[in-house]
Amino acid sequence: MRPLTESETKTLFEKLATYCGKGIQNLIDDPNSKSDRMVFRIQKDRVYYVRESLANLATSVKREALLSLGTCLGKFTKTGKFRLHVTSLSIIAPHARYKVWVKPNGEMPYLYGGNVLKAHVGRWSEDCPEHQGVIVLNMSDTPLGFGVSARSTAEARRLDPTGIVTFRQADIGEYLREEDTLFTT
Amino acid sequence: MAPSKPSHKGKPGGKLGSAAKKPSGSKPKGSAPTGISKRQQKSQTLLKPGGAQKTKSKPVNNGRKKKRVYTEAELDIPKLNSIIPAGIAKPKGQKKGKIFVDDAESMIAIMSVVNAEKEGQVESKIMRARQLEEVREAKRKEAEKRSAEKEKKFEERKQGLKKKRSKQSDKSEFDDVENEAPQKDKKSKKRVSFG
Repeated sequence: MRPLTESETKTLFEKLATYCGKGIQNLIDDPNSKSDRMVFRIQKDRVYYVRESLANLATSVKREALLSLGTCLGKFTKTGKFRLHVTSLSIIAPHARYKVWVKPNGEMPYLYGGNVLKAHVGRWSEDCPEHQGVIVLNMSDTPLGFGVSARSTAEARRLDPTGIVTFRQADIGEYLREEDTLFTT
Repeated sequence: MAPSKPSHKGKPGGKLGSAAKKPSGSKPKGSAPTGISKRQQKSQTLLKPGGAQKTKSKPVNNGRKKKRVYTEAELDIPKLNSIIPAGIAKPKGQKKGKIFVDDAESMIAIMSVVNAEKEGQVESKIMRARQLEEVREAKRKEAEKRSAEKEKKFEERKQGLKKKRSKQSDKSEFDDVENEAPQKDKKSKKRVSFG
């Protein structure tokens, strides 16, 4: 376990910035938090968002024995890109810039791994461009996952009801579907 | 002890005496049969391994001036011209290994750079989408206008045709009244039947 290097930090923040607005600065330096600051730590190829005191305690565990700590944000691929995991949803959802609200009839298809169709959309954020990260929520504002917008909002309006509005990236159904592999390192 | 000393002394003395006699006698003997002059003898001694080195180095040093060896700094070669292997080009005193970013300030600095970049990208995307939307809207309006014009022309043409027809029908009504009888005659006349 170690802190991130400069290039790794940049790659991570670029990915986070596709889903979040300016609110992600609160991830590093939250003025409201009274406890100690949160830090990013990399263990093997996975990046964790963890309290600093906990990270300091974890230094007493040897690298091979340390399975996980804090919240896993995602992993670095072997090509050096960063892939967000569904476990990061609770961290990025409060700072999301673009959102799509799914009607109750569209919740289950989405949680089974499907894309978001226009017929299932209850609301969406205005002025969302194409291929921009969006957070998917149900009508009672519970985050269900995140994805990438297939069309801009203006284009999506003209789309037929079966057309895809958002491509799925991760959803909370993965906690069940990927139960065996989600937390293995 | 006393007898040994003189005997010891005497031996070398005797030897010396004989030796002093022998070389004086033998030298002229040796030189005379061969007939080598003093100069030739010297040159012969040069061929011997011991003597050769002594005499060889001397004439070389005396004949030519010793070449000056320049150091690289003295030559004043431009730096780009010298070879610096790629792996060794690192500046001195630099820390080895990874440089971690763990303090909030530098992380915020990186984040603000990344945010600015992303913001620019999103803005440009939105702008492009708006422009495309405007172009599409303009095209749609033009197409609507064109179709409306076409419709209007069609309607006009239709109306024109209707009017023409109504005029023609009026005329034909009058004609019918006048030409009813002769038409029947004509038809009966033209009829042809076979078999």
